[in-house]
Amino acid sequence: MRELTYIAAGREGLAEEMARDATIFVVGEGIGVRGGNFNTTQGLYELYGPLRLRDTPIVERGFVGMCCGAAMTGTRPIVDFMFVDFILDSIGEIFNQIAKIQYMSSGRLKMPIVLRGAIGIGGSAATHHSGSYFPMFVNIPGLRVVVPSNPYDVKGLLKTAIRSDDPVLFLEHKNLYNNKGQIPDEEYLIPFGAAAIAREGTQASVVAVGSMVRKTLEAADALAKQGISIEVIDPRTLAPLDIGTISESVHKTGRLLIVDETFAPCGIGAEIAAQVMVAGFDDLDAPIMRLNGLHTPTPYSPALEAAIVPTTQSITDAIQALLAE
Amino acid sequence: MATEIVMPRLGWTMETGSIAEWLKKDGDSVKQGDIIFTVESDKAVNEIESFESGILRILPNSPAIGESVPIGTPLAYLVQPGEPAPFETGVPASATAAELVQLRPASTAIHANGHTIKSERVDQLHPTISPRARRIAGELGVDWQNVAGTGRTGRIVERDIRAAAEQIAVTTGSLRVSPVARRMAEDLKVDLGSLAAALPGQRIEKAHVEQAAAQVDSRRGVSAETRAPLSTIRRVIATRMAASLHTAAPVTLTTEVDATELVALRKQLKKDAAAIGLSVPSYNDLLAKLVAEMLIALPALNARLDGEEIVQSAAVNIGIAVNAERGLFVPVIRDVQTKSLRQIARESEVLIERARAGLLTTAEMSGGTFSISNLGMYAIDAFTPIINLPECAILGVGRIVPKQVVIDAEAEIVAIRQMLFLSLTFDHRVIDGAPAAQALQRLKQLVEHPLVGLL
Repeated sequence: MRELTYIAAGREGLAEEMARDATIFVVGEGIGVRGGNFNTTQGLYELYGPLRLRDTPIVERGFVGMCCGAAMTGTRPIVDFMFVDFILDSIGEIFNQIAKIQYMSSGRLKMPIVLRGAIGIGGSAATHHSGSYFPMFVNIPGLRVVVPSNPYDVKGLLKTAIRSDDPVLFLEHKNLYNNKGQIPDEEYLIPFGAAAIAREGTQASVVAVGSMVRKTLEAADALAKQGISIEVIDPRTLAPLDIGTISESVHKTGRLLIVDETFAPCGIGAEIAAQVMVAGFDDLDAPIMRLNGLHTPTPYSPALEAAIVPTTQSITDAIQALLAE
Repeated sequence: MATEIVMPRLGWTMETGSIAEWLKKDGDSVKQGDIIFTVESDKAVNEIESFESGILRILPNSPAIGESVPIGTPLAYLVQPGEPAPFETGVPASATAAELVQLRPASTAIHANGHTIKSERVDQLHPTISPRARRIAGELGVDWQNVAGTGRTGRIVERDIRAAAEQIAVTTGSLRVSPVARRMAEDLKVDLGSLAAALPGQRIEKAHVEQAAAQVDSRRGVSAETRAPLSTIRRVIATRMAASLHTAAPVTLTTEVDATELVALRKQLKKDAAAIGLSVPSYNDLLAKLVAEMLIALPALNARLDGEEIVQSAAVNIGIAVNAERGLFVPVIRDVQTKSLRQIARESEVLIERARAGLLTTAEMSGGTFSISNLGMYAIDAFTPIINLPECAILGVGRIVPKQVVIDAEAEIVAIRQMLFLSLTFDHRVIDGAPAAQALQRLKQLVEHPLVGLL
């Protein structure tokens, strides 16, 4: 076991995979000599050179389309978007080509491509560098959507993403990058569609997404001191979504809150709520509740920015409101 | 302590109301959930039920029927047995708000002029319950209509149901009840809590429960019904029986047979077998053997319809309908045509025992080519059994009963003979009426002279 940061754990996973399979290459802005804006590829250029760590001009649509073609020929491209907001410039390639090509070729073509980038609100990155967008990707058939919440998961899930023959959106919250965690010395992979019970409890279930897992665990700790027992579920992948684990938890507790930094309308919380309503209607002792970031562009002002994101305190309050229902 | 009963508010705009009818008299015992009286408001007549149990004491100056009075006007009291009503002692009842909310209408025909009703008071009039709480109430057998909800909007939630269930357990647990009475109360679904309230200080005995149950029965009348899910066996029987009647074209032929010789033979066999400790052949065993003899002679009846083909079986495998506690089973005795009566008796004894114990295997119940169903032991004369598909016929056996029979009409000789009705139900898709009638005629001859068939 070693202690690694979230960013280092992800980079270790990437390095292991690149050493194992020579068809893997990374494309992005400043990911070569510079090692990536968030150090996602630091040290790899020295090992694998410009062919497998390819800096690009600022043309998202161009290099995403190029990687789509490369994946069709049998290589395994990884597009590193830095801030994931700029993925929006390549949405046509992703939704219309990358997500559909396996279907359109009757499975004769594979699409083993990883689209990774930093998501989330934090550090006064303002409105062009704070998006998460995952509900939009979950909505599209053919895409896998991964939101790792801790160093252990980021490594295991990135390795699975790179080995996947389906296109994967790999979305890492920038506030998590410096979090540390224990990483085993031996190799491990984490399958998609397997939620983690981050904390066991009996009185209410809370599904927390990405950076919200840690804050929800803090809220659960605070409530435990008052004798309140909360179960925290980290879905880890949103597509596929492990609704079974969530439903089982609701069967036990009868109450469900979904905590998600992204916007509420048509969000992952709405989807989980709708599915649980069908799978476990007779298990519900209270309405399913959501806690989301405010439905607004992200402000630059640190004070305003802090006010629009769920906090440990607001999560605690939301859980208590759920218990009072 | 006495609980005051007042004119209830049945809608947000209701100011006055009038008693339409007292459904309980002064001095009547009222149980929780009983309807005490009806109230006429501006919208409808509402039944008012009690949240508590006790003795009803109507105020001497209670408003007359039809007299409109303001809501909150005192009407009556519920007192405990032996307790005087407040109007008798001259001490005013200390009616708290909590006690005033002991009543609610049983019907929900209340609308406040189309406005959305939002108040705690009205929430109590319309109890809401979470899906989970409703499920758990069902599992624990708690009547949630009478449970107070503690959810944010007064919704009944899981903890309320669990608390109510615990309360019921505590109440009934601390009562002084004889074990027999407790068991009987459970069987007859008599509420021991309210029985105890009606019998303060007394130990509840069997007689009290019986009396209470009789009262409940007379109140419920004959319309009471119970529901139970289909057992697996019942479901299989239901499917098979319906399938047979929907598929086959059953016709039943009935004939009366002189079984005097068969009865004599059975008596002899019984004596003999009992003497040497062997299985005694039953009438079913004897009939199985005789039916096999008949089927060998008329194999068209020992057949089944298989798609576009009729399949005749060389072996006679006879199913015997056995009534077990869990339902009807039909174990099959194989190759009856080659077996001795003694072998058949031994096999059928084992199969019937296994059927009653619920131990029959599928193999032991399949492969039959003909079935016998005997209801003689229930004093049935004749009936129309249902064909056990894919078989083509079934024999219904009635009771053997001594009758006066004409032996020789010309000589005017009558005699007492042991008579038996045999009913043969056959599938007209497979065989026509005439050959089926011949088969039954042949069986009649065999039964009347059984030694011929048992050779």
